[in-house]
Amino acid sequence: MFEQSASVPDRTQQAAPSSIPSARVLAPEGEPLEFIYKGKRFHIHAIVSRWRESGGWWNRIGDGKNHLQDELAIFDDGARAIWRVEAAPEGALSTFEIELDELTNKWLIRPTSRPQ
Amino acid sequence: MTSFTHLRVTSGYSFKYGTAQPEELVERAAKFGMRSLALTDRDNMAGAIRFAQSCESSGITPILGVNISFLQKKFRITLLAQSGTLGSLYRLLSAINLGGSPSGENILSHDLLERFADYAKDVVVLHGPDSQLSAAIGRRRYSEAISIYNSTREIFANQVIEVVSHQIAGDAPFSTSHAAKALGFARDHGLPALVTNATRMLERTDGPIADILDATRNLVPLNHRHIERRNSEAYFKDADSMSRIADEIARAAGERSGRALLAETAMWAERFELSPRTDIGIGEIHLPEPSVVGSRNHGEMAEQLRARCETGLHRKYRGATSVTAAERLEEELATVRTLGYESYFLTVADIADMARERSIRVAARGSGAGSLICYLLGISGVEPLAQGLIMERFCSTLRGELPDIDIDVESHRRLEIYDAVFARYGDSDWSRPNNQSRVATVAMVETYRARHAIRDVGAALGIPAIEIDLIAKSLPHIRASNISKALANLPELKSLNLNTPLVKMAIHLAGRLDGLPRHLAMHPCAIALSDITIHDRAPMQRNPSGYPMVQFDKDDVEAIGLLKLDVLGVRMQSAISYTLDEIKRVEGDAVDIDAITLDDKKTFDLIKSTRTLGIFQIESPGQRELVGKMAPDSFTDLIIDISLFRPGPVKSDMITPFLNYRQGVPNRSGQSAKPEIHPDLIDVLRDTEGVVVFHEQVIRIIATLTGITLAEADEKRRELGTLEGQQRVCDWFYPTALSRGYSEKTVTHIWEILRSFASFGFCKAHAAAFALPTYQSAWLKTHYTAAFLAGVMTHDPGMYPKRLIVDEARQWGIEILPMDINLSDKSYRVERVAQSTRAPYEAPDLLSTGASLNLPDARGYGIRMSIADIQGMSDAEIVSLIAGRPYIDLADFVYRAGVSRPVTEALIMVGAFDSLHIGTAINRRDLLLHLQDLYSRVGGKYSAASTQISLELGLPELAPSGLPDLSAGERVSNEMQLLGIDVSQHMMAFYAEFLNHVGAIKSSDVIHQRSGQSILVAGVKVALQTPPVRSGRRVMFLTIDDGFGCNDATFFEDVQQSTAALLRNGSLFLVRGVVRRTGPRGVSIRATAAWDLADSYEKWRNLAVDDQPIPGSLRHA
Repeated sequence: MFEQSASVPDRTQQAAPSSIPSARVLAPEGEPLEFIYKGKRFHIHAIVSRWRESGGWWNRIGDGKNHLQDELAIFDDGARAIWRVEAAPEGALSTFEIELDELTNKWLIRPTSRPQ
Repeated sequence: MTSFTHLRVTSGYSFKYGTAQPEELVERAAKFGMRSLALTDRDNMAGAIRFAQSCESSGITPILGVNISFLQKKFRITLLAQSGTLGSLYRLLSAINLGGSPSGENILSHDLLERFADYAKDVVVLHGPDSQLSAAIGRRRYSEAISIYNSTREIFANQVIEVVSHQIAGDAPFSTSHAAKALGFARDHGLPALVTNATRMLERTDGPIADILDATRNLVPLNHRHIERRNSEAYFKDADSMSRIADEIARAAGERSGRALLAETAMWAERFELSPRTDIGIGEIHLPEPSVVGSRNHGEMAEQLRARCETGLHRKYRGATSVTAAERLEEELATVRTLGYESYFLTVADIADMARERSIRVAARGSGAGSLICYLLGISGVEPLAQGLIMERFCSTLRGELPDIDIDVESHRRLEIYDAVFARYGDSDWSRPNNQSRVATVAMVETYRARHAIRDVGAALGIPAIEIDLIAKSLPHIRASNISKALANLPELKSLNLNTPLVKMAIHLAGRLDGLPRHLAMHPCAIALSDITIHDRAPMQRNPSGYPMVQFDKDDVEAIGLLKLDVLGVRMQSAISYTLDEIKRVEGDAVDIDAITLDDKKTFDLIKSTRTLGIFQIESPGQRELVGKMAPDSFTDLIIDISLFRPGPVKSDMITPFLNYRQGVPNRSGQSAKPEIHPDLIDVLRDTEGVVVFHEQVIRIIATLTGITLAEADEKRRELGTLEGQQRVCDWFYPTALSRGYSEKTVTHIWEILRSFASFGFCKAHAAAFALPTYQSAWLKTHYTAAFLAGVMTHDPGMYPKRLIVDEARQWGIEILPMDINLSDKSYRVERVAQSTRAPYEAPDLLSTGASLNLPDARGYGIRMSIADIQGMSDAEIVSLIAGRPYIDLADFVYRAGVSRPVTEALIMVGAFDSLHIGTAINRRDLLLHLQDLYSRVGGKYSAASTQISLELGLPELAPSGLPDLSAGERVSNEMQLLGIDVSQHMMAFYAEFLNHVGAIKSSDVIHQRSGQSILVAGVKVALQTPPVRSGRRVMFLTIDDGFGCNDATFFEDVQQSTAALLRNGSLFLVRGVVRRTGPRGVSIRATAAWDLADSYEKWRNLAVDDQPIPGSLRHA
């Protein structure tokens, strides 16, 4: 019913070479404010857009991340929140995507325009 | 926390879409401090009543709507009812369902809207992200969007732009950017807007369940292409989360905050608020108006009820009892008067009369049999006074709900009664606007249980069908959440690896589907009647048989005060009716089965002999065992027997003390077994040996000891159902009974009885209503054995295969007459035959007392096999065959009967032409050759389409070919193959020598075996039952028949390991077991081993040198 074309990317493709897993992000109330990328501290000036994605748990049943823990099912449903932000170390603005993996609570950072 | 009202929420009642129960959603709303909540399920409103009830008890104001396809299937809008006009929404939804497209897809069209504009004008529409309007906005076609809006502007009360963001990436529907565009559109054009979350889940973690439902609904395996869910945001969010979403959308649309949007949402929510009482009608009562039964007003209706009852009283009672009955009638009429239920009784009586006018047998079931009014009006056939039945168990001024009457009718004529009721109470054209009706069928919600859940999850996850099938088939009918436990106990699943992550996950997910609604079906027998406003009180749809059906289930229907009447089709009533017709046809006697006395000794002798096959209620293996132990002597005993044979008493072993008292068996300490009964209670407890069996007894005991009325005592009895209730009753019972002079010892003793038996008690009126057809069928079997068994064969009312009933007839000395093209009918007919030499069954005398039973002798009668049993024969062929009678020979038959060649062959093979050639050398093989000649003569002209052949060229000659006729074994084999019945002789006859050799015991001789002895029995599988057992341990009950009656063997878990698969798949068995004597004529066998009989026979034959032909073809029974 939801007419929508954007398909959820495969998990393996997300860890593109340019993204840095387990990045350090300062997000005191859940919303990112600052982060460290390639050793530099970036300040977020504006959130361009934000969205949430999940799905595909059924492809990962065998890999052990979906499992039952004391009668409770843990689904690796690829749930993640993504912010597209404008951020700069000093002056020059760049665009990044910051992603929070909601299963592991790990941050990923992907530049969408090259930082200068 | 600020408040928020969710105005678009789908529950599990959006079948295979929403993941939450309405009650869970309400509970969550209450937890979040919300004042109101909407339920807007897709395409139906089946969850509305339980939602409203749940809202009422949680202090939440309910809002009702429905999400429906508009113009095209893929475009959806939400319709919401405004305060005070819920009926309009129901009627609009009914119009969509009843008058919609013939394809069965319920789509709201402009045409429907115009025709039903009277209802649409009260309804508010939400155009959400999945609407056509929104799709236009998404493509920035704003003028198209405006014209869509304007096209229905004059029709609906109002139209609101619904904005939703699930924070999906990009600008697709349900993204923030799409929602912002929709909000901007509303602002630009001055249209109202509100925010919802289009909720379909309770928790964010319910996403996988939604995916399973999507895959199941669309019949596809889980795959990104088929799954509409992109993230897990469609869950039930709290007000703060919704406020943040509103902010996000509003800011994206250029506003400072979401405050205006939230305020507007709250404003609209208020317009939709409904009262559970005045709007939804919970707790009201709506019975047919006096005019329906021909009265001008309520007073006249009361007089009519009295007059009809008094007429019945004069007809049915004489002498002293008529005085008691008249007093009782006054009491009952006073109760009915107070409650205003005259219409209820007269309506049900009216429907019972409609049945009788059409000579359809009708009998009441349920607690209604306790009411004298029901007896006098002819609704119930059980005389309530002699059995101590009481009205209060059925209906009292202390209970606010309508009483429940169910009526049983002949099953094959049930729809005739439906038609009559709909003609009288329904609307002739219920798909036109403003239709007026008083009747509808009732829905039934099918929910996920273990088998369906595991099948659907397995299919969605792509688990091999064979594996899923194996798991699903092995599961008993249990709740889905118990699957893993159940699986661990099943020996035949030991070969499967249930511990792979995939299977484990499937089992877990199946557990999470547990209890979710799956499908809205039709209740098999309920109809709802009301006053003329039924269309304003419930939404309708068309049921599969074409009758209008309320989308509410039976509890919902009662909650909104409609009269619910179950009209059950009972095959036994059809069989009884058929038997009476056969008696009249063959004997010329008209038996009035409803007027027979209830104390016929011969009938009880038959019951005591346990030869009860075909008799209503007491033919199952367990019941045969129980009647054997109990040896019923009276109608009251039959009522007790039926009450005891239920899971509760069986499980709690209430039967043993009862039987011990009855048989005077001393207990372990050697004391006199009979319990002491207080003199005041002797009348109440005498019939049941001092054991409390019936609700009526509980009610009378409480009333006797405390001095309260029966109606009050019934309320106390109901309270005993819960632990807290028991405590309350206990706290009241002790002081009250003590103050009336009963000793503490007596009170304690009686309280213990009440407490322990109250939960197992059974409504005696209900059991009595069942006992009546039980007795009637037993009476008919006793006095008109052949006619009765012909009725049983024709209408197949019981649990046993037809071949067993055929064998039963054979054992009573009845000739089984072969199929005959000139004599066989569409049903089984009784014929008079010359006295057979065969000895009928005789019950062994009781070893202990020497008492013998007087059993029927049915010699001199035959039952003619019915042509309807030929497999593959159509109704049209049967009609044409019968119309063409008599036939002089096969050629004549082929020429005129209009029967296809394969069916003709089958008729030859089962001997239907034999009687035409008696005394000649012509045999069945010759006839088959002749048939071939007849068809080959017409050569290519024969085709499947035209079975009539032209015989202008002259007939081929029928002559003996010299081939030997079919052997007895081949005959039986043909009969089994073509009819499923061994007509000429019992299948086991072929194994007689082997069985004698191994020393197997005939079923009729098992009763003579010592208890504890190990014996061999053999037979054909009749039934294999695995009833659910609370412990989860499975017990299998196998019934086999050997031509001398049935043996029942019990397989416990230790034996199942080696036998479960054999019992499921096999058909002929040799069983070793230990005999257990359980009563004067009760006996059971605890199995210790089982083998395939045919296999054992082969082995034996290979050992023994024997030239007897091998009946190997008998194995396919």
